[in-house]
This record gives sequence, structure tokens and C-alpha cells, in this order.
Amino acid sequence: MNARLAIYRLLMRAYPAPFRRRFALELESAFLAARSEPRYARRGGGVLFWAETLIDLCLSASRQRSRQLMTIFWSSRSPSRNKVDTMLHDLRHALRLIVRQPAFSAAAVLSLALGIGGSSLIYGLVDGLVLHPFPYPDPDRLVSVGVAFPRQSSELRFIETLSPAEYFDFKKMRSFGLTTAFDLGNRNVSGGDEPERLFTALLLDDPFEVIGMRPVLGRGFSAPELGPNGPPVAIISHRIWQSRFAADSQIIGRAIRIGGQAATVVGVMPPGLLLLGTDLWIPWGGDPAMMPRNVRQFTVLARLRPGSDLREANAELAAVAGRVDQEFRGQFREYEGWRLEARPWAAVVSASLRDAAFVLFGAVLFVLLIACANVGNLLLARAAAHQRDVAMRLALGAARWRVARELLSESLLLATIGAAAGLALADAGLAIAPQFLPAQVLSLAPTLSTSTRVVAFGLALAIVSAIVIGLIPVVRAWRTSPRAWLSAEGRSATGGRGVVRLRQAFIVAEVALAVALLAGAGLLVRSFMRVQTIDLGFDPSDVLTMRLTLPREKYQGEVVNQFFNAALDRIRALPGVERASAASQYPPMGAFETSVEIEGQDPGEARPNSLITVVTPEYFTTMGSLLKAGRPFDARDTLRAPPVVSVNEAFAKRYLRTEPFIGRRLGIGPPRPNRPWAEIVSVVADTRNRGARAPVAPEFFMPMEQQLMWNQVFLLVRAHGDAPALLPAVRREILALDPEQPVYAISTLEESLRTALFPQRISLVLIGLFAVIALVLAAIGVYGVMSYGVATRTREIGIRMALGADPRSVVRLIVRQAIAVVSLGLALGLTLALFAGRALSTLLVDVTPRDPATLAAVSAVLAAVALAAGYLPARRAVRVDPSAALRHD
Amino acid sequence: MRPPSLRVVHILLALSSGDQHGYAIKQEVEKVTGGDIRLGPGTLYEAIQRLEEDGLIEEASSPADPPHRRTYRLTFAGRAALRVELRRYGAVLEHARAISPGLIDP
Repeated sequence: MNARLAIYRLLMRAYPAPFRRRFALELESAFLAARSEPRYARRGGGVLFWAETLIDLCLSASRQRSRQLMTIFWSSRSPSRNKVDTMLHDLRHALRLIVRQPAFSAAAVLSLALGIGGSSLIYGLVDGLVLHPFPYPDPDRLVSVGVAFPRQSSELRFIETLSPAEYFDFKKMRSFGLTTAFDLGNRNVSGGDEPERLFTALLLDDPFEVIGMRPVLGRGFSAPELGPNGPPVAIISHRIWQSRFAADSQIIGRAIRIGGQAATVVGVMPPGLLLLGTDLWIPWGGDPAMMPRNVRQFTVLARLRPGSDLREANAELAAVAGRVDQEFRGQFREYEGWRLEARPWAAVVSASLRDAAFVLFGAVLFVLLIACANVGNLLLARAAAHQRDVAMRLALGAARWRVARELLSESLLLATIGAAAGLALADAGLAIAPQFLPAQVLSLAPTLSTSTRVVAFGLALAIVSAIVIGLIPVVRAWRTSPRAWLSAEGRSATGGRGVVRLRQAFIVAEVALAVALLAGAGLLVRSFMRVQTIDLGFDPSDVLTMRLTLPREKYQGEVVNQFFNAALDRIRALPGVERASAASQYPPMGAFETSVEIEGQDPGEARPNSLITVVTPEYFTTMGSLLKAGRPFDARDTLRAPPVVSVNEAFAKRYLRTEPFIGRRLGIGPPRPNRPWAEIVSVVADTRNRGARAPVAPEFFMPMEQQLMWNQVFLLVRAHGDAPALLPAVRREILALDPEQPVYAISTLEESLRTALFPQRISLVLIGLFAVIALVLAAIGVYGVMSYGVATRTREIGIRMALGADPRSVVRLIVRQAIAVVSLGLALGLTLALFAGRALSTLLVDVTPRDPATLAAVSAVLAAVALAAGYLPARRAVRVDPSAALRHD
Repeated sequence: MRPPSLRVVHILLALSSGDQHGYAIKQEVEKVTGGDIRLGPGTLYEAIQRLEEDGLIEEASSPADPPHRRTYRLTFAGRAALRVELRRYGAVLEHARAISPGLIDP
């Protein structure tokens, strides 16, 4: 036969059967005649011909198919009933089916509840933490402006990264409506009971209008209040209003003390207002014109003007950046090639969680797919058993579409019940989720609830799952030929080869998905183990940390260090304290950075960036980090002595490059007249100063005694044993020195490390959980198909046994079938895992997604579980009494 | 009811001068429109099926014809529908000439 025609005949199967029956011959002859048209005779005509034929086929076939669907389901071809009646009838029928088989239904509903519930729960988390973290109006149009200075680092940063001058450069841009810029800080609030440290935003413009929220009490700030040297006013968060001021409705107009100075409360914001976890909002107060361009500590929020979009805003920002580069490059070299970029605020806030959130979301959808495959499998097994009923009804004149609709109603009802149970599960999960999230994450986004979006998502999943699980039985019923099934060949109850194949395909899919999930979990476990064993360069156990900020109004100059030294002396004298020290930051914080100049460096060369950390001499022994060369800081290094620094190995290797390191000198910060050179007196071992996952950053240390600026430090207290238990005693010692002085940001080194690893840990726990569910579901699936296969072959097995077959060979025969299916699933699953692993790579440390050990272990676990699930039915089969088996019909 | 597409009008026109089989309709339409309208086999017979269902054309073949050369003829309703449609086009043309003569015949 003509090969071309054979292909076309194959393609014609895309058309619905009635159309094909009616027009097949005409279609074929038109197809053949068209090929000889002159326009296809030119070079490349064959390609054109096939392209046009395929387009024609796809378009007309899809139109035909959709028409067919419309008429199948909603035409009132059944004359006696209207649509509502038919639907009710179908529902009742489905309900009867479900009630009549409680075990089957329970298994199906449970699988779907786990799948849909898990997916909805994760969607709720993703939605609440990443997609819609705040209840603000029109959140997609609320953007932040980030900045990258390629001379220093290519990273785009959004929080505390712009100077007021830069903010004013783009504030009046056409595509921005209202804008605000704020500096973040902490303020001591006193008056009333205990002094408290509040995370504060210092505002250049009103943020509340930009965000789109109004105070619940009082008013927002007026323009004069926000201007330079405005009157002292404050707006407080709902949380503080309740906890500190007992929800006093008379609070407006009252004075509170902020940093020792009185300020009038003019407003209280509603609970939904979240600005990076700040609780107190006050005008910045200074004159922005006085601020140098390169002192960058502001965060910017802007509303896109109606009619403009992110793309326009970014084009305008690029133009602004270019202009500033031109004008100021001579003065501020970092402007060379700098970049401004607007991004939705929600994306900025949740950036750290984003990767983990989407990986989890993908993983839970795998679970749902496995659940669907399982339920589809169950339905298919049953449909095979019911095939004769269906054939009988068709023979008696039932319309195919009626039968199909009844089947689909059943799967829809199962899925709906599953979704309801699943949503209840998700609701419970979302209610307890905050207990498992670190406070840092929650302060960014508290809106975890079963929103209408979550419910809609769950229901949409229910519909999709209903179609996935119901489609195959429906298609099979549709294709059933009454004659064939009522005749002798239809009598055997195996459901035919087709059903067995389909069920095996389901198992292959289940196994493949389970392998991929297990592989993901395995990779995360390995990566987590690596992180645990990474040499941090310090000993994180038993160190209590807290922050202390001395208000400038009270403490200035050398008094600051005197206070810290006195406090440390008192703490060291406490029982249970091994060592105590103070530092401006500690791993894994890595927040303070500066540029440095190495003496003798080529003036044209870019000045390297380094972490800058101010410490008391005991810092290194408290942390348990090692001195590699030189001398430790000591009593010699006073304010009047020549300035000294200590650098870490990463600094030495990257910036100093050649020995000797000791004795070389650094210029710290931007160049200025009379900047002193600080001499390197020691090299200390690297610590993972940006967290266990990130490479060690160059860092240098300065003795606190030689500094006057640092009024805000962390106290690090190493304990003999239980570190948190020391807190009350430490706090007492501080209050003894100054009863108005709070300590805050209380933590331990171990806890800070744990918080930094939160996205990894939560992914690990949840993906691990999903993987176990997947494994159980896949095992149930394999077991189901194998025992079904055994049951239908009881007669054959009986004959073999009666003829004297060795039971072991019979077991082997059956298990071999399981092996074939499982190995195919494994192969597919490993391929899938390699692809899915790439999505994980951002969460992995020192482990590649192709890690052979993990993949091998996962394959072994899955193969063992699946084979066990296949072996049990096989064992049962050989215990069958041959004479009973032979009577089995 | 939606007005018939240009493709349908051309198919009806091709049948207005006499009965034709499917492929001849396709050739006629493609020739008349200079290839602007192309009728692939699927599109052609889909349209024929639709027109048959709507009662605008009917099969005209005798049992003697081979099944892949069934011919079709315009029904009375089909002819009426074509006339209505062509008048509609006529009205559009007339109106266009009236408001802007140069638009059509430069």
C-alpha cells in the first residue's frame, strides 16, 4: 500500500469515529489527489504538503472532538428527562456505588485526600508566604527598587541599599505613583514597665499610602512631620498597641519615650500592615540633602502608576542609572555600570523561601499524581469486572454517553469527597504551620489561612483528578462492543490484555514518580548531612547571643566601650559562664561590609570588599576559632595605640596573595584625608561567616577598644552547659548597670545556624514525608495489581501445580512480572529524578543532583519494597489447593 | 445564528452552478479565490458535514457512484441562504461605493 496513505489513515484516527465512518474514503481520495497538485510539485513541495495536511488535520479534528464532547454530555438526547434530572440521577447512582463498596471507596478517598490535601496545604503555604504574603490592595503593583554595583558585587540587593540622593533621582519617575523610602533600625521604647527594643522604620515619605492601608486609630503622617526636623511623632503597630499599651483607645495624642526622648503617638496601624517586621514608624527627621550619595541605608517602596507596568518602570530606571553614572562616576566610582531594578515587593520579601516553596509544590504534585494513578488503578480493576454489565446495558439500548457519564460522575464524586477531606486536612495543617515556621519568616507574612484561593485550588485539583482517574474507564466503556462482550470471548473476567497493560502502565508511572521523590528526599538528606559535618571554623554549641544598643543620647565617645567592658566583666563573674565577649556581628550574619585599600595597591585597581567586624579580644576564644599566625588583640591595642587589624585566611589568600601577611597595612572604608593605616597583626582561621552553605567571605576584625562608633553590639556568652539558662542572670547584670537598657535579639549560635538553614530543613522534612507517602502508595499499587493478576490466574496456577510444577518456579514466574514492571518504573523514575534534581540544586550543598550513591540507594529501597509487594500475592498463589483452583471460574 | 464564514459561502457558490463531488468543490474554491482560501481534506469534509446537518446541501449521488466520489447538491434552503448572504455582501459593497468610491475601484 501507498506509505503516504497508510500514514494519513493512522492520522485520521484523530477524528471521531462517526465522522471517519462517513467520510473516510472521500478524505483519502482528496488527500491523494491533493498531493499531485502543481503547487506541491516544486522543490520542498513534500514538506509543504505534509505541513498543510497536518495543520488541516489538527484544526478540523480538534473542532470535531470538542463538538462531540459538547453533544455527549449536555444534549438532552434522552427525551424523558431534563438536564437537572439526569444529573441528579447520575449523582444518586454514583453515591450508591460508593456506599456499596466501603473498602474500595475508603481507599480511593484516602488516597485522594492525601494528594489533594497535601497539595492544598503546600499551596496555602506558598500562597501565604510567597505569592500573596500581605493583605495589601493590588500587591502586584507594589514594587521595591533594588541596586547592583558590579564593581563591588553583581548581586541585586533591595533592603537598605540606597542613599536618599539616589532615591530622589528616580522618585519623580513617570511610571511611579506614590513612593517611600525608609531606614531600618532599633529604638528603645521606655515609659511604663520594662524598657523594650522595637524594630523601627525611619521614614522619608509616608509608606502607608504607598502600601494602601489606613490607620485603625488616629491618622497617618503629615508632610511637615516627615520633613527635616519635624515634630517628634510616632505610629505604632497593632501588635505593640495590644501588647505594650493594652489596646488603649486613648493612646492617640499620648507621649511615649523613644530613645529617651518624648514623641507623640498619632496613629495605630491595622494588624495586616507588615513592613519587614517593624513595629514602630517614625519620621527619619534629618535633611536628606545633607546625606552623602554613598551612604546607602534606605529601602524603597513604590506604587506603579495606573497604566504603566514593571517593564516601563525598569526602562526608566535604566535611563536614570545611566544619567547618574555619567554625572557622578568621577566622584563615586561604584556608579560605573550600576543597575537599578524594580521588582514586586512580595517577591523581594519572600526571595529566600521561593526556591524551597516551588520545589515543595512540585513534590506534592507528584504525590497527587501517584494518588491519582492508584485510584485510577482501582477504578480500572473494577471497571473490568463490570464490563459485562456495561455491555449488557448497551445491548439493551442504553446510550453510550449515559454509561460514560455515570462512570465520570462516580470519579467526580470520589474526588469531591477526597477534596473535602483534603481541604479539612490542609486547613488543620495551615492552622498549626506557624508553630513550625521561624519567627523571622512569620514576621514577613502572617496571612496563613485557608483562603478562597486555597479552596478554589483544592476544588480545581478535585476536578482534574476526577478526569484523570475517570477518563480511562469512561473511554473503555465508550469503546465496549456489546456483541463481543456478550459472546463467549467476553466471558473471561480478566478484563482482557488491554486492562492489564493499562494497569501496568499505571504502576510504572507510580513507581517512576515515587523514585523521583525518593531521590529528591535522598539528595536533601545527603546535603543536610554534609552541612552538619562542614567545618564551621568555630564551635557553635553552648553560646548565648544577644544584642545591646546604647542610645546615642545617653552614651557617647569612650563611655560606650566602658559600658560594654563593665557589662562583660560582670557577666564573666557569673557562675556557669566560661567566656564572654562582644562583636558587631557573628557568623552566619555577615551583614557589615566595607571597601578596603591594601597599602601599595595599584591605585587604578578596584578596592576589594570585605566583611568588617569589630570585636573584643576574647571574641576568638569565645567562638573557639583558631589563630593561624601573629598575635591576638590584647591590652596594648587601645584608642591611642596605632590601629591594628586581624584578617581571616580568605582575606589573606584573595587580597594579600603573597606572604608575609603580618605587618602589611590596610586603609579601611572609602578614601578620605588623613585616613590612618591599620597594621595586620594576625591571621585567623576561616569561619563560615555567611552560613554553612555559602563560601567563606574575606573578613577582617578590629579591636573594639580602638573604635568609638559602634554603640550596637552582640554579646556572646559561652556557657558550661545550658546557655539559654544564663539569660536571666545576664539580663540582671545589664539592668544593674542601666535600668533603662534592654537586651534583644536573644538567640544561641546553634539557633542562628538552624534558622539560616530553615528552607533546607523544611524541604527535607516535607519532601521526606511525601516520599514515604509515595512509597506506601506505590507499594499498595504494585500489591494490588499483582494480587489481581494472581487472582485471575488462579486456574492456570492450579493446573501448573497439579501437573507437578515446583512452587518456587511458580513464584518466580509471578515475581518476574513484578520485576519487569518495577524496573521499567525505576528506569523512568531515575531519568525523571535527574531532571527534577536540577530544580533542587539551589537547595543542595556539596551534592550534585546526579549523586550516584543516593540514586543507587533509592533504587535499592524502592526495588525491595516493590518486590516485597509483588512477592506476597505470589506466595499466596502457590498455597492454593490445586483442586479448588481448578474449580475456580 | 452566526452568519456563515466566507469559506462556507464559497462552497455554496461552487455548488450553485451544479452538483459537484467534494474534491471538485475544493479545486473550484481554490481556483476562484486564487488560493486565498485553502480547503484541506479535513476542513472540507467537516464543512460538508456541517452543511448537510444544517440542511443546506444534500447528497446527490446515485448508488452507482463509487463511494469516494459522492456528489453534493444545494438544497432549496441552501440556495435561499446563499442568496441572503450574497445580498448582505452586496449591501456592504454598495455602501462602501457610496461613502468612498475610490476605496474599491481606484
